[in-house]
Amino acid sequence: MDWNLLIALAINGIVWGLIIALIALGLSVIFGLLDIINVAHGDFFMVGTVMAFFVVQTTGNFWVALLLVPLLAFILGGIIERLVIRPIRNAAALSIVATFGLSIILQESVRGTFGASPRRLLAPVEGTTMLFGIEYDIYRLLAALISIIAISAFFLFLHKTKFGTWMRAVRHDREAAMAMGIPAEKVFLFTFAIGTALAALGGVVAAPITTVDFKSGVDILPFCFMAVIIGGLGNLPGTAAAAVLLAFIEGLITSFSDPTVARIASLCLMSAVLLVRPQGIFTGASR
Amino acid sequence: MSNNDECPKNSKPLKRKITRRSFLNHALAGGAAAGTSYLGLTSGLYAAPSGPIVIGHQAELTGGFSSWGYWHDKCAKAAVKVINDGGGIAGRKVQLATEDTESNPATGVRKLRSLIQRSQSSFIVGSVHSGIMLASIPIATEMKTVYFSAGEATEATGSKGTRYSFRTGTDTYALAAAGAPWAVENLGKNWTMIFPDYAWGHSHHQEHKKLIEEMGGTVNEPIAVPLDAKDLLPYLAKVPEETEVLFSVFFGALSVAFYTQMKSMRLDEKMKQYSVAGTIEGVSPAQIKGAAEGVYFLENFPRLLANKDDEYHREFNKLIGIDDVHAQEVGSDKVMAKSHAWQSWENMFALKEAIEASGWATKKDDQGVIEALEGLKMSNSLAHPQGDKILRAEDHSGMIDCYITKVENDKFNLVKKIPKEDLMAKLPPRYDFTSRKL
Repeated sequence: MDWNLLIALAINGIVWGLIIALIALGLSVIFGLLDIINVAHGDFFMVGTVMAFFVVQTTGNFWVALLLVPLLAFILGGIIERLVIRPIRNAAALSIVATFGLSIILQESVRGTFGASPRRLLAPVEGTTMLFGIEYDIYRLLAALISIIAISAFFLFLHKTKFGTWMRAVRHDREAAMAMGIPAEKVFLFTFAIGTALAALGGVVAAPITTVDFKSGVDILPFCFMAVIIGGLGNLPGTAAAAVLLAFIEGLITSFSDPTVARIASLCLMSAVLLVRPQGIFTGASR
Repeated sequence: MSNNDECPKNSKPLKRKITRRSFLNHALAGGAAAGTSYLGLTSGLYAAPSGPIVIGHQAELTGGFSSWGYWHDKCAKAAVKVINDGGGIAGRKVQLATEDTESNPATGVRKLRSLIQRSQSSFIVGSVHSGIMLASIPIATEMKTVYFSAGEATEATGSKGTRYSFRTGTDTYALAAAGAPWAVENLGKNWTMIFPDYAWGHSHHQEHKKLIEEMGGTVNEPIAVPLDAKDLLPYLAKVPEETEVLFSVFFGALSVAFYTQMKSMRLDEKMKQYSVAGTIEGVSPAQIKGAAEGVYFLENFPRLLANKDDEYHREFNKLIGIDDVHAQEVGSDKVMAKSHAWQSWENMFALKEAIEASGWATKKDDQGVIEALEGLKMSNSLAHPQGDKILRAEDHSGMIDCYITKVENDKFNLVKKIPKEDLMAKLPPRYDFTSRKL
């Protein structure tokens, strides 16, 4: 066994898992509060990559995109909540159909305006460092750092601000929270918008590693769903931990086996969790 | 409203007694309706020879292949316009019926049936999506309709080919025969192949492996990447250090991800990069900001006019509305999928030549068209701007010139032209469809 490769791929798994955690958190927060199974969440990620591309094209500065795109996505998320989500709230089956339609609308809108050809977004920092025998892109480490900061900021917001407390209260017991005077409509709107912003931020961070393409959200969504299921539906710390754990396990297995075997292992883990602990392996952490 | 209002006094009750006469009346009416509908379905067989000839086009206008489908559609429409402006086919106008496959095999097959049954298409210019193409060939054959494939899966003119299926472009068998000998001789003998984990990628691997090993080269363990992979580092980390040539075959977004991540790991500094045009179709090297710089590609219709500099190529570019350097659409940033989309143009003219040579008038004359297509020689002209070619009779495959190019300063500079004669020498037919009955 090549131990260097094993360690390198395990570290890379954690790095990639942190980026995925950012996106999966958005999915989990929307489900946890609104009971919406958001099939279009991957497309929010995709819209983030495309917005980042345009902002970098216009300003020439990646850091502007990192700040501006989540804000734009937040506004977009708010509009979508009012137009698409609010009319079908409390109807989980309808939410799948509605967000599936939304997914097609987002993809085809981007295809019609941005084009069908994939593009590349240059990383703001270039260069590699030797990581246990492989040339490792420095930007990946930076992307992991950005993800850690964003995830920490999100949890701080959730636990240290009034609005965060409202969000947790509504998630915990919607009726009681409303009876206590918490403006639930505002919380729903804000929650969907923040979920969208998190996915878009994930798009900005991931774009220099992957690609900018109108179909890119389709591929990222299953991994996010796996993280949400393993972490526990609506369990935010569990989702983040599951995303990192999944990517770490896949990295480990890939070092000595086929990457496809690694993906099969992830799916087996998800199936096992569904069978044995359908509430998620991290239940017990705060909901 | 009362029942009496609904049922006048002199009318018969709703529940009638069935008599022999009424039974015969209904049976005859039903028979007549069935007969008429049959005539409707098969009117293509007996269509008036003076009406327009309907050619169906199965195009990927939306979905994952739409960056290619846009160009196939544009080429087909432009070719039909040129044909109609020149008097049509055998004096009859051509009517193009286009259906969007949505880049989905199930939809593609449904649309093929619609093209044949509803639009009454007599011939089909088919899909560039290998999955759709392979699913369509049995349907087209069952419906006795000539079908031109545009995808690269070798089965279309191989194990799944039929008397009705043709392909003017290249498949993985031809691409290996055209490029691998040069690449082994000039780039290196130790190869690693990385490709998407589906039939097209594996087909490239098998065809290249065979040739490379025959030439004394070594092929390392293949690296198959799942189609939904975003992080390619775990795959790229497995490329052996002794690799001299990294052969990559990807499509669309996965191509861009591959070049971006391969470059970020500096693999391009350690080994030569070789690929086929499909990997960078519809994408300009400038759009991916140098990630494809230094990569060798096998093209079959050069993107750069200078690599096949003649009046027909120039005129084709003008009619399609692309520039002569990057094959980029004038007034937009779309880049033509040039090594594939030319087939949608040329197939229209191949059909014109075969229809006129055989004296085809209706579907019952299809055998003549098929026989005319088998072995059809096409000359370098505006109808065939890709160059001289032969549609080989035995395996219905196009024998064409290919071009090895290298990306330098975002341009595909010519390294070597591979004439079709060299290609044919390494590409004996594996199937003979001419012996099969129609």
